[in-house]
Amino acid sequence: MTVLPRSTGWSSIVALPWRSLNQRFSAFVFMMAALGLLILGRIQPSLIEDTRAHVVDGAMPILDAIAWPMTAAENAAARVKSYMSLQEENQRLRADNAQLVQWQNALTALQDENRELRTLLNFQTEPGLAYISARVIADTGGPFVRGLLITAGKLDGVREGMAAMTGDGLIGRVVEAGDWSSRVLLITDLNSRIPVTIAGSGDRAILAGDNSNELKLFYLPQDAMLNPGARVVTSGHGGVFPPGLPVGVVTVAERGVYGVTPAADLGRVNYVRLVDFSLKGGAFNPLQTGIEAANKPN
Amino acid sequence: MLAFLWQRLDQGARLALPCATVLAFTLLGAITWPLPYFGEVAPPLALMAVYYWAIHRPDLFRPGMAFLVGLLNDALHFLPLGLSALLFVAAHQFVFSQRRFFAGHSFYMMWWGFALTVLIVMFAEWTLLDLLRRQMIPLMPVFLQALLAIVIFPLPCWVLIRLQRTALSAG
Repeated sequence: MTVLPRSTGWSSIVALPWRSLNQRFSAFVFMMAALGLLILGRIQPSLIEDTRAHVVDGAMPILDAIAWPMTAAENAAARVKSYMSLQEENQRLRADNAQLVQWQNALTALQDENRELRTLLNFQTEPGLAYISARVIADTGGPFVRGLLITAGKLDGVREGMAAMTGDGLIGRVVEAGDWSSRVLLITDLNSRIPVTIAGSGDRAILAGDNSNELKLFYLPQDAMLNPGARVVTSGHGGVFPPGLPVGVVTVAERGVYGVTPAADLGRVNYVRLVDFSLKGGAFNPLQTGIEAANKPN
Repeated sequence: MLAFLWQRLDQGARLALPCATVLAFTLLGAITWPLPYFGEVAPPLALMAVYYWAIHRPDLFRPGMAFLVGLLNDALHFLPLGLSALLFVAAHQFVFSQRRFFAGHSFYMMWWGFALTVLIVMFAEWTLLDLLRRQMIPLMPVFLQALLAIVIFPLPCWVLIRLQRTALSAG
């Protein structure tokens, strides 16, 4: 198994120390270069971020090709599982559908009433949201950073700061956008801070990640009493996230700090939806117009 | 002439095997696996390959390549650029200096050497990141990742041994 170079005679006496010295010297040079890069990253973070985004863009097609068989296998397994529970799921969907029809009727009535009241008050509505869907290609989590690489970049209209969601709720925000790939920092990351509101009570707080799967609520009002199970949504303060995006539910408090379980299952994210919340419009206006046109009643 | 060219190409491909496998392991270590929460403790495959080739073919896998693979690892894992590069080169140098001992006569010696290397590298990574970010990152997931890496090490190692025997011994 082990193939170690062997040589004999005078040549080995001279060559081996020289090779070892050469190896040590080159290792020293590269270690110094790495340290230089670390220092440069502290001084000029934008330069390093751009380089990193380009490297990820370059690696994207290969990552995509490697990940494809695994995605295909997972999809096939999900399809088989779905076929096996077809009858059961059909019954559940029929029950859900009946309930949703009732909700739809109530919603239509409320929407009409809301529109009339807004007209009476001359209320200025906020711009609608636009979405970009992307596939998760790499889970770059590890124990140090909680993040995902996705297959949409600047060329698709992605910008840094956009909210990332699944069908269940908020999962993070875009922190780095390359031309055709982007990185999403998850809400569970140690550096994630989100202004939130507790639905029902209206209490505001900051939701912080700590690299675990549970989030923590900080800066709640002193007299706030939260019930376990209360919904936590984005408050929209600071203009980073749109207000009202579901984030999770409150769990029991430990040592005076309330925990929040994310609404989305962060362990199984295959697709994400990026939400544009552009108060001034911008790169997403064409998309937004398309969505508004699609939603317009005929 | 054509036969000579093919022979040279074949030989070149065989000699590039260590670099190619480290690159492949780095990319494999970044993709999403169909296991819930696996990404949080996914073993550092790149480090396993660096360790293996630093012992068995340091002549074909030099510190410069460890540096470049480290940069790619940093870019993919959203780590400060240069961190993995620094640790991979240091690990390469450490393993290279101890390779006769780690290679030994049994696989267990190499396994033990990897356990030692991964624990040192991951603890150094945790310490450096804490210093760079000025915040305390929980240590337990780091330890779990190192533990998982030690447990599954024989599997990637078996792949590398097979590849080495097939491609490099025949060359």
